[in-house]
Amino acid sequence: MIVEVKNLVKRYGDLVAVDDLDLEVMEGEIFGLLGPNGSGKTTAINCILSLLKFDNGEIKVFGKPMSPEAYDIKKDIGIVMQEVAVFNELTVYENIDYFCGLYITDKSERKKLVEEAIAFVGLGDFKKFYPKKLSGGLLRRLNIACGISHKPKLIILDEPTVAVDPQSRNKILEGIVELNKNGATVIYTSHYMEEVEQICSRIMILDNGKVIATGTKEELKEMISLGEKITLQVFEMEDTHMNFFKTMENAVSVDYDGKFLVMKFQKGNSNLEQVLDYVKSHKINFGKIHTEMPTLNDVFLEITGKELRD
Amino acid sequence: MPVFKLCLKIFKKNIPVMMIYFGLFIAVSIMMITMSTPTDQTGFSVSKARVAFFSEENTPLVEGLKTSLAENADFIDIEDDQEILQDSLYYRKINYVLRIPQNFTADFMTGADPKVIKTSIPGSTSNVYVDLKIESYLNTARMYLDLIPGISQEKIKSQVLSDMAEETEVEMLRRDSSGSETGLMQYFFNYLAYTFMFIIIMGVSVIMLVFNDPIIKQRNSCSPFSTTKINLQIFLSILLFTFFSWIVLAGLSLTFAIDEIPNFNTKYYVLNSLIFALTSSALSYLIASLVKGREAMIAIANVVTLGSSFISGVFIPQDLLSEGVLKIASFLPTYWFVRGNRMISMLMEKSGPVFDEMVSSMLIQLGFAFGFFILTMIVSKKKRSV
Ligand SMILES: Nc1ncnc2c1ncn2[C@@H]1O[C@H](COP(=O)(O)OP(=O)(O)OP(=O)(O)O)[C@@H](O)[C@H]1O
Ligand SMILES: [Mg+2]
Repeated sequence: MIVEVKNLVKRYGDLVAVDDLDLEVMEGEIFGLLGPNGSGKTTAINCILSLLKFDNGEIKVFGKPMSPEAYDIKKDIGIVMQEVAVFNELTVYENIDYFCGLYITDKSERKKLVEEAIAFVGLGDFKKFYPKKLSGGLLRRLNIACGISHKPKLIILDEPTVAVDPQSRNKILEGIVELNKNGATVIYTSHYMEEVEQICSRIMILDNGKVIATGTKEELKEMISLGEKITLQVFEMEDTHMNFFKTMENAVSVDYDGKFLVMKFQKGNSNLEQVLDYVKSHKINFGKIHTEMPTLNDVFLEITGKELRD
Repeated sequence: MPVFKLCLKIFKKNIPVMMIYFGLFIAVSIMMITMSTPTDQTGFSVSKARVAFFSEENTPLVEGLKTSLAENADFIDIEDDQEILQDSLYYRKINYVLRIPQNFTADFMTGADPKVIKTSIPGSTSNVYVDLKIESYLNTARMYLDLIPGISQEKIKSQVLSDMAEETEVEMLRRDSSGSETGLMQYFFNYLAYTFMFIIIMGVSVIMLVFNDPIIKQRNSCSPFSTTKINLQIFLSILLFTFFSWIVLAGLSLTFAIDEIPNFNTKYYVLNSLIFALTSSALSYLIASLVKGREAMIAIANVVTLGSSFISGVFIPQDLLSEGVLKIASFLPTYWFVRGNRMISMLMEKSGPVFDEMVSSMLIQLGFAFGFFILTMIVSKKKRSV
């Protein structure tokens, strides 16, 4: 077990930011902490890192109790904080070298590691740039490089892709997967379900400081009753057809907006088949058709009754 | 030493700003050299001390003492009442109470070392002259007493008074002979207070602003580098910076007053400025722990350095400032630095009241440094517990 959290409670006055959280991260995982803004992700991370005092609970990292003075634990953790933590007075290279230097004393080894980190985040052309001159996405990449250059066993990333364009974001996500392949255990927090779904092997969904579900994405989707969503592009929809779809065995909801027919089904077989058969036999003219499996957003929606993102 | 190295880089980045102040210092200094020589700071243009003189006996020896003091003191008639005296001291109606106890003369004549009893306002330059005179009178008297057994009081009195008159002349001569450039050194070292304090406050706050940033703080404490280690390296870098600025600025001051370097008191100017550097460093620490933001920092640095320099006599000699102002200024280290320089400018030997005054001015500055340090500790403790 890399990280073990039991009964963690953190209050800010009357607000319970983290409410009785239990969490276990195994070696080699990419563990996702998914939750909307203010759900307590950062607070939980900061407690794990002993940056915050908490009201109750027990935290172990690498099997040892975590504390502010647990330097032998800290040396194997890489942290990429939600807010970019770099020095404006230092260049890209110097920044990474500084943070690496907090972990690695040997100069030549550090030089190698810093170069590797720069290559890893693709900042080779920006080594001599000062942070003020970097775009938001590049700055985030620098923030990541500063956190991972010392090759930590455990990497914690707190929303590293906030305010990053899709292209940079993909690069970052690919990078994280690569780090994981090279042996690092990763904890990744985000409020973007797509990201978490894309890279995480196990996911914990938080809301209002409480854990509402934990599991692989398949397990999470199993938890809910919703099955597939079928979208059909049609240009005309008679009421009789509409009634047929509405009365289909597994249908949950059917909506038509004059262009698209959106049908949601509970789990069950051959929903798509039935729809296609009906469309063909009644010679309904249709354009595109596609089906989607439930997303984590649907999971969140079904459990909490609200959208993950508003 | 990543933190230490980082601090040096931050200093380096701020060199241009610092250069402006170094430049200003040089410019003003050159102006001073070419335009005027601050002669009014030399010589004995000191106002007289207002002395309440009480003697429980009336002997020739005591009379002689009083006579010798007349040059440096106005004797004020005042009721010998503790409360009245305290009030008068407080309101600066008088600044020195001198009391000759009973049997003073008898004890003195038998070779004992009786003491006069004095109460004075600390930090007044004119008082130092009174102290000097008393010491000089009694020492000379003792010398005659030792040399000529059985010498009468009257004889001692007249001998000592005439000796002292000559001595003063010699002293005046000595001072005059060193020419008008005397005081240039004092001037530059005084002016150092302004430049120095500003540069050090800016330097220290530049570092502290970076490291007190909550996000950087959090990020640093994620690492296996302990807070103590980080603080130690920051401290080291600031010490180095202070030392470096001191070398440059004290060096400049010495260069500008190059003719005076061979003087006996040069080394004390240098020492006094080093002490002031340390005190400024400690003050900067305190300010940096209280103030957030670069603009606020620059504003504070200006107010503190300019304000304290003005009322402490960096730009205007302390003798020209009102006692009320000086009283307020005495709560600032700058005042004691300037006063230390003043004492050094009068210094002739490694002992005596002027020397003692100089030492106490230095010790008081160190006291300030210590106080600032403690305050910083308290402030940062308080912040942490919030
Ligand atoms: N220092 C603080 N003082 C008081 N309340 C706080 C503090 N820090 C966080 N909170 C509150 O605790 C709750 C959890 O905040 P946290 O930052 O952990 O959420 P998050 O999941 O990281 O959100 P985001 O996605 O916006 O980063 C929020 O309601 C927040 O307002
Ligand atoms: Mg957060």
